[in-house]
Amino acid sequence: MTANDKGPVTNRRNILFGVGAAGGVLAAGLGKAMSAERRNEQVTDAPVSDNTRQRQPFYGTHQAGIITPRPAAGMIAAFDVLATAPEDVERLFRTLSQRIAFLMQGGEPPVFDDKLPPSDSGILGPLVPPDNLTMTVSLGSSFFERRDWLAPHKPARLSRMKAFRNDALDADLCHGDLALQISSNTPDTNIHALRDIIKTMPDLLVLRWKQEGSVPVLPPKPDGSHESARNFLGFRDGSANPDANNTALMDRIVWVTENSDEPAWARAGTYQVVRIIRNFVERWDRTPLGEQERIIGRNKATGAPFSGATEHDVPDYSKDPEGTVTPLDAHIRLANMRTHASEANLILRRPFNYSNGVSKSGQLEQGLLFICYQADLEKGFITVQHQLDGEPLEEYIKPIGGGFFFTLPGPLDDSDFLGRTLLEAAGHAVTRVRS
Amino acid sequence: MSHSAGSASPRPASQRLMHLAVVGAAALVVAGGVAFYYASKGARQGVAGDAITVTIKDGVCDPNTITVAAGPATFTIVNKSDRALEWEILDGVMVIEERENIAPGISQTLQAKLKPGDYEITCGLLNSPRGTLHVTPSAASDAEAARPALRAYLGPLAEFQVFLVTQANSLVKVTQALDGAIRAGDLEKARQAYQSARTPYKQIEPMADQFADLHNTIDPVADFLERREQDPAFTGFHRIEYGLYTDKRTAGLEPYSAKLLADVTALKDRIRGMRILPEQIARGAQRLVASMAATKVAVGVDHYAQTDLADFDANIAGVSRMMTLLKPVAMTAAPQVVADIEARLTDIDNALKSLRGPDKFPAYDSVNGDSRKALSQKMQALADAIGKFNAAVGLE
Amino acid sequence: MQLKLRMSASLFALSIAVLPGAALAEVSPLDLVQPIADYKIYVSENSEKLVTDTKAFTDAVKAGDVEKAKSLFGSTRMSYEAIEPIAELFSDLDGSIDSRADDHEMAEKDPEFTGFHRIEYGLFEKNSAEGLAPVADKLMVDVTELNKRIADLTLPPEKVVGGAAVLMEEVAATKISGEEDRYSHTDLWDFKANFDGSRKIFDLVRPLIEKDEAAFVTKVSANFDAVDTTLAKYRTTDGYQLYDKLSEDDRKLLAAAVNTLAEDLSTLRGKLGLN
Repeated sequence: MTANDKGPVTNRRNILFGVGAAGGVLAAGLGKAMSAERRNEQVTDAPVSDNTRQRQPFYGTHQAGIITPRPAAGMIAAFDVLATAPEDVERLFRTLSQRIAFLMQGGEPPVFDDKLPPSDSGILGPLVPPDNLTMTVSLGSSFFERRDWLAPHKPARLSRMKAFRNDALDADLCHGDLALQISSNTPDTNIHALRDIIKTMPDLLVLRWKQEGSVPVLPPKPDGSHESARNFLGFRDGSANPDANNTALMDRIVWVTENSDEPAWARAGTYQVVRIIRNFVERWDRTPLGEQERIIGRNKATGAPFSGATEHDVPDYSKDPEGTVTPLDAHIRLANMRTHASEANLILRRPFNYSNGVSKSGQLEQGLLFICYQADLEKGFITVQHQLDGEPLEEYIKPIGGGFFFTLPGPLDDSDFLGRTLLEAAGHAVTRVRS
Repeated sequence: MSHSAGSASPRPASQRLMHLAVVGAAALVVAGGVAFYYASKGARQGVAGDAITVTIKDGVCDPNTITVAAGPATFTIVNKSDRALEWEILDGVMVIEERENIAPGISQTLQAKLKPGDYEITCGLLNSPRGTLHVTPSAASDAEAARPALRAYLGPLAEFQVFLVTQANSLVKVTQALDGAIRAGDLEKARQAYQSARTPYKQIEPMADQFADLHNTIDPVADFLERREQDPAFTGFHRIEYGLYTDKRTAGLEPYSAKLLADVTALKDRIRGMRILPEQIARGAQRLVASMAATKVAVGVDHYAQTDLADFDANIAGVSRMMTLLKPVAMTAAPQVVADIEARLTDIDNALKSLRGPDKFPAYDSVNGDSRKALSQKMQALADAIGKFNAAVGLE
Repeated sequence: MQLKLRMSASLFALSIAVLPGAALAEVSPLDLVQPIADYKIYVSENSEKLVTDTKAFTDAVKAGDVEKAKSLFGSTRMSYEAIEPIAELFSDLDGSIDSRADDHEMAEKDPEFTGFHRIEYGLFEKNSAEGLAPVADKLMVDVTELNKRIADLTLPPEKVVGGAAVLMEEVAATKISGEEDRYSHTDLWDFKANFDGSRKIFDLVRPLIEKDEAAFVTKVSANFDAVDTTLAKYRTTDGYQLYDKLSEDDRKLLAAAVNTLAEDLSTLRGKLGLN
């Protein structure tokens, strides 16, 4: 299927990109003409964006969606896996890989006889755009523990998430055998991808819970610089994230490498932590600005730490041992103490904001779909969260769900598939055939 | 707000103004303090005499490394380059002080009040290598950095108020029992009530300066009255003590116990509305302990019941409570003073414990001169330690 | 120094004139000593009452007297609910005394689920005191410990003043729906205690702002009165009717009042110069 579609879609993409680029130039020069043309637009016309053609590569050493810049829409869907026998697990991994390869590439789903249900939900039209989609597959500890033949191969630090001090976990929003992180430019693309997976593998996967999220879009800055997006507390989130373009740094912080004591099959994978963190936004909005800033440890407007002028200035806590500038219990200080030792606890965050509905008490169910990646789950998230235990921010947030997962290494090329190294390590012979 | 006030991050104009206002207000306070300091220590030279000259030529500061003591410092900037320049003292990205537009060949002075730390100085153009300014701690900077804000005393003051109210309530309750026992003619019960009533009163006593009139009718000692026990001003606790222990009867004490009850009730109401200032806590404690060291321990005050040790114990419990409440405020500013006070209190506690029998304190007339002298000295040491408190936390 | 002084003085004057913050009433920290001392006494009285009431309640539970224990449940909780802003400063005790099933991953079956609501679950949901004796013992130990810790605690002033709003926030966020006492439906007892606790704080600091913030004081008082009037409709001889008797109109009225109070009382700290 992929082979059939790849050619034309690639061509179309190239053509379309050409038009898109020219269109951009035109738009810049012909603002008036554009607005004149807009008069013909209709209420229900689809919003238009060139970004639907953006595409991320599925194949590579690492899965996409980890150091990939975070797009505007994200989702975590956690599944229970029905497959138990090695051949069924292989079928799961292969099918997942095929579907993800197609969805990330984009193209035309096959057309069936119209007496049959269509092959695709059709919500993105007959030609599925890539729309910057990534789908990242991770496994929970239960996936290994419930399969005797896989249990010995569980990543060394993979555990079932335990409640931290401030957690009020809802069992219906926790854990899972398999987590799918879906991100793209639009919520509809993510939903399309999820429905594809659910439709394709009903005998292998049962949806356990899902949480969607978003990130506010900013206009480009004239100088080309970037700013971190804001969370639902109104603060920039991610200012201190390690540089995802620094390969050596990512090898140290994010990826399992040959230097680690993890099983060999897990190299190039990473630990994924998902937390659904409810924010009590009404109460937060009723908190004095000064206190909000002290709780977080940053200026709300600029995102700068108290000892700096811009978001990316690095606070030097050694000059402030008593917390007169940045309180000792400020969120950013507890999360990252900026010492040599705390380098070992760095994590790569990739969170989304979520907004679900209204609580029984009539308050907004909003918060952060926290997602982070690290090479060492214990030194990474678990240590950082323990440092945060008891922070003043706890009064305004309540983690209610999530889980710990291990993100599989990437499929190297189209003869490879997700999870192959694990199956091989478990003694299940697989063949690599170019599809 | 104080945290964000220290931030150099761009803020709305109003917030920057607030920042300046805070700095300005601090400068005012400090200026006052400095003026006082120089007036009192006239021997030292004025600030202007200590001006540090920095000559800037070809993008280099001379000297390029400056060391000054924390506090106000004056810099004379001499521009020997051929361009107008500005001179700045920088703390990271924050400008601490600056003098702009110093014309070639001109010198300008700049005054800065510096906190201890390492700063950079600019030397001509923006890209000229910067010099270093080391500011070393000084006694004045230590004291200032350490001075807790008035707000920090709010919690301890409130808690102290609760303590006083609680003791006063208990004082009224036990005095009611005392009055009742006297009116019922029950000598034994009256003696017990008398002793119970002393404890809350003695715990409040460090604040007696705040209610001197009531203190004079509640707790006068015959020694200081012209006609001693026969003096009409001989009222209150000791008058009742005199009746219960010397005359060994309750008869005739009714007016005194009624008056005492009225007085302690008035005291309770007064305490309820009393506005205590932070400096009055250590001051009151110091005065009481000093008076114990000077006379009370030597001669005693409970001449008839000889229950002085129990009084001392309650006095010290009150003082201890007061200083414990102040501890969190003073821990950063004056850890040594706090530790010293705690050590002295423990010392006295141990001394009292060693004098105490298995279930109660012995009669004071059984405590010999040497023991009294040793206890006096410990009281004096405590009074001295507490005497340093207010100065150490900037309350004087 | 001369120049600097003049500059500073004028800047200071300017800032007073233009800052919105300058509109806040001038309250000296020392003015707050009395209200905070009074509040400490209020808290201590309540925590002592909590110990006494919990003793009677847990004795009934341990004696297996389900009916008596049920009848004491609502009133016993009130002294805890009234002082929640202080009680919850001790998060370990707050968790073991007052956590709800949904604070725990395994909900009612979670071994960490203890305290009032665990006993409530047994008494009202299962109509039995079976297996509750150890939970009752633990609750008694915990409230005794709480009382002791409160006695030793120097109240943080901002927690006291902020507590007025915190109580309203808690009602608004997780109580107005009736999910607090989901087995016994004695939520109105809790509401009453929460409102009283909040109003106590407001009344204590009220004299400090009455002059400068007359409109604010009037509005807040009126909302507290509205709550009182509404709750009074549900009074019974010995307490309050069950939550399910609360009419939809009154629930909305309470919800609106609690949100307005939360909104208004959130400015109380700032008005009193506490940040």
